Amino acid sequence: MDIETLHLGPFKIKNKIAIRLFSALDDRLGVKEIVDDEVFEKIVPAHLGFWSCFGGISFFLFISQALTGMLLMVYYQPTIEEAHATVAMIMNEVPFGWLVRGSHSWGSNLMLVTIMIHMVKIYVSGIYKPPRELNWVVGVTLLLLTMGLSFTGYLLPWTQLAYWATVVGTETPAALPYVGEYIRYAMRGGEEIGQVTLTRFFAIHVMLLPVITASVIGLHLVQIRRQGIAGPM
Amino acid sequence: MTNETSAATPNNTRRGFFLTLLLSFFGSVSALGFAYPLGMYLWPRERRVKGTGARSMKIPLSDVPIGEARFVRFLGKPAVVVRPNEQQTIALSPVCTHLGCVVKWKEKEKEFLCPCHGGRFDVKGAVLGGPPPSPLPIFTTSLEADYVVIKEV
Repeated sequence: MDIETLHLGPFKIKNKIAIRLFSALDDRLGVKEIVDDEVFEKIVPAHLGFWSCFGGISFFLFISQALTGMLLMVYYQPTIEEAHATVAMIMNEVPFGWLVRGSHSWGSNLMLVTIMIHMVKIYVSGIYKPPRELNWVVGVTLLLLTMGLSFTGYLLPWTQLAYWATVVGTETPAALPYVGEYIRYAMRGGEEIGQVTLTRFFAIHVMLLPVITASVIGLHLVQIRRQGIAGPM
Repeated sequence: MTNETSAATPNNTRRGFFLTLLLSFFGSVSALGFAYPLGMYLWPRERRVKGTGARSMKIPLSDVPIGEARFVRFLGKPAVVVRPNEQQTIALSPVCTHLGCVVKWKEKEKEFLCPCHGGRFDVKGAVLGGPPPSPLPIFTTSLEADYVVIKEV
């Protein structure tokens, strides 16, 4: 069982403790096979370039949004009395709070930009074509989920801008025939925007949509792994 | 491609050693660059009560009827003033010495009961039963006209 050197891709590990820890994991879960196949011996097609990176960048931004979002939740309070005050406190008083909230708000904008670039690349290269049509549909779902996250997150600072954007955003679907008024009523949690709206937007923003989005990202990646990266044009 | 020629091979050469050194250095710097703001961000901001203000507190006697207990905040922590009878005025910390719950005053039994694990204390803070390992800390009290003044021991 005792091996002198552990070969992991370009790395030769000689530390005995590291080797024993790794072998213990490998014996039980077959970790080396996964690491070799999926990381070190994974062949990335030569035709992939700059424009192929934007799906991955969007994924990175999603992870970043999740982490900075968790940090913001440490101080943010979703009540109409405290929401704006706590956001102002994060920006002005908490050390590096400006960095955390700045990353979160810029990240949300940037994420939509990178998703758009990703979609243009997929469209222009014709990668959405069979057998990848289903993954295009999943991808569009992810775009809509990201827009939902942006929309619900926008209300949370409870500023004039946030409030009136939500007035307009919930008024828009009310123009739909027959169902519009009910959609507006459901989104606002009543006739007007108030504490109930803030609470439900908060719940949707920090729990419902992130969990759904993470799962759909999983579906997106599983399909890429099953179908492989599309060939060159 | 053979691993032996790869530049990323940290083997026993000067180049490998230098690479390991560089990677460890920049790795540590960026790890610190994340850890420092994160620690600063998460560290609680409320200043801890050091009790630099008044070391004593005045409570009107009319606030503490005979047989009843009055819970107040003293030096940022809970305190209780109790008058079991006409003669006695006792002030102590109602924080249970077992696991820190605040005890209740049982008027009928004239004793303190901890709601968490059933610790019992008499009116002077001595343990009557249950898990508490030591008596409740007591404050000194003095009467000043219609007030009771409590002070740290």
